[in-house]
Amino acid sequence: MQKRIILEAVGIRKDYGALQVLKGVDFRVREGELVSIIGPSGSGKSSMLRCCNLLERPTAGQIVFDGIDITREGVNINHVRQNIGMVFQQFNLYPHLTVLGNVTLALRCVKKLSRAEASEIGMAALAQVDMAGKRDAYPNQLSGGQKQRVGIARAVALHPQIILFDEPTSALDPELVSSVLGVMRKLREAGMTMLVVTHEMGFAKEVSDRVIFMDGGVVAANDTPERIFAAQDNERMQSFLSRFLNEK
Amino acid sequence: MDATPSLIHTFFNPDILAKTAPIVLASAGQTVLLGFLIIVCGIGLGILLASLRYYTRRRTVTALIVGYVDVLRALPPLVLLIVVYFALPYVNVSIDATLATFLCLSAILSAFIEECVWSGIAALAQGQMEAARSTGMTWSAAMRHVVLPQALKIALPQITNRCIATIKNTALGSVIGFNEVLGSAQAASSDFANPTPLTLSALVYIAMILPFVLFSRYLEHRTGSH
Repeated sequence: MQKRIILEAVGIRKDYGALQVLKGVDFRVREGELVSIIGPSGSGKSSMLRCCNLLERPTAGQIVFDGIDITREGVNINHVRQNIGMVFQQFNLYPHLTVLGNVTLALRCVKKLSRAEASEIGMAALAQVDMAGKRDAYPNQLSGGQKQRVGIARAVALHPQIILFDEPTSALDPELVSSVLGVMRKLREAGMTMLVVTHEMGFAKEVSDRVIFMDGGVVAANDTPERIFAAQDNERMQSFLSRFLNEK
Repeated sequence: MDATPSLIHTFFNPDILAKTAPIVLASAGQTVLLGFLIIVCGIGLGILLASLRYYTRRRTVTALIVGYVDVLRALPPLVLLIVVYFALPYVNVSIDATLATFLCLSAILSAFIEECVWSGIAALAQGQMEAARSTGMTWSAAMRHVVLPQALKIALPQITNRCIATIKNTALGSVIGFNEVLGSAQAASSDFANPTPLTLSALVYIAMILPFVLFSRYLEHRTGSH
């Protein structure tokens, strides 16, 4: 039996004025899956991801999360977002708060937990990303890899049903990438559902359940990593992949 | 050379000090109270306007705020005071000198604070708001806990400067008859043909402004370590 669908994009279109960034995107993410979105720059990957929690409003189409169309009028998006975590390319940690403060802010002012309860959950999330020792540090005292692990802990602490990753390692020095990918692998083993926009082809190939290849605002291919990376029939994907694999 | 005794005799004459201190200090009390109220209202309104300008997508609202800010920053406070105090009675609105001073200086301060806070908000990466919203925080919770604490920290030195200037501008209230410290000190020094009351008023200003500056330095230091 197939697992239930957590997130489904149905005919998503996004225009910025005359520019069509997304031209009708459909895909599904099932419970416990890790789905990678790959594709050349400007293919609409990040825009698509940002539509999933309505940081961008799609021009047309639906985002169905846990059986509910969240693009409908009258849906409480703040409530929905507590169940959709997000990790950003530029980390976007709050520089005026400590590591623990970053992780517990939403627990305290969205979930209205007490300081003690929030700290307990926050510390558990930090332990998951190996950052418990830095609880009292400020973001500018951390390396890029450590910042991103805190970013992941901030998302994990809310116990979301899915986490969206927007190029989580693209802003990192090469030697710091592996620690972040390691944390993501651990999360996947723990059963977290994840949708990951990435340029890390090795990661996408090894860890994904499925890979979505986007090009020119549409899904050009959506398949298992084995088939995607072995595909000979899609010329654009071939040229995209060969560029990446040659770089490695 | 006995310049020193005569200097003290002129600028800090004990007899004249004893006679004029009650008058000067009474108006000092009024000035402190009014200055405090102006700062609270000016900062509050300024933050509110900057937040509204950040929130709104309506161009008319933005244009209104920017217009308010630019006009009030350009007007000499003295002119605004005189217009409000002497012109409003013509349209059957009577206003007393204290209220007129309060309204004018609060409005002008709010315009400057709006601009300071706005520049602080604009200096932040958009990602801060997005990160907060992505965790389910409402717009106002994200403003309160994420955007404004950082924007105010950036704007703090400018805000402090504007508040000091505003405290000194309360002296303009004497033009329309508000009984503030510098005006009453000046009147007292004319009466006694001696500048001692002015020296006293200078001390009053230092006593008003110094704690304010120290508090602001403390805030900067406390939030500046990271």
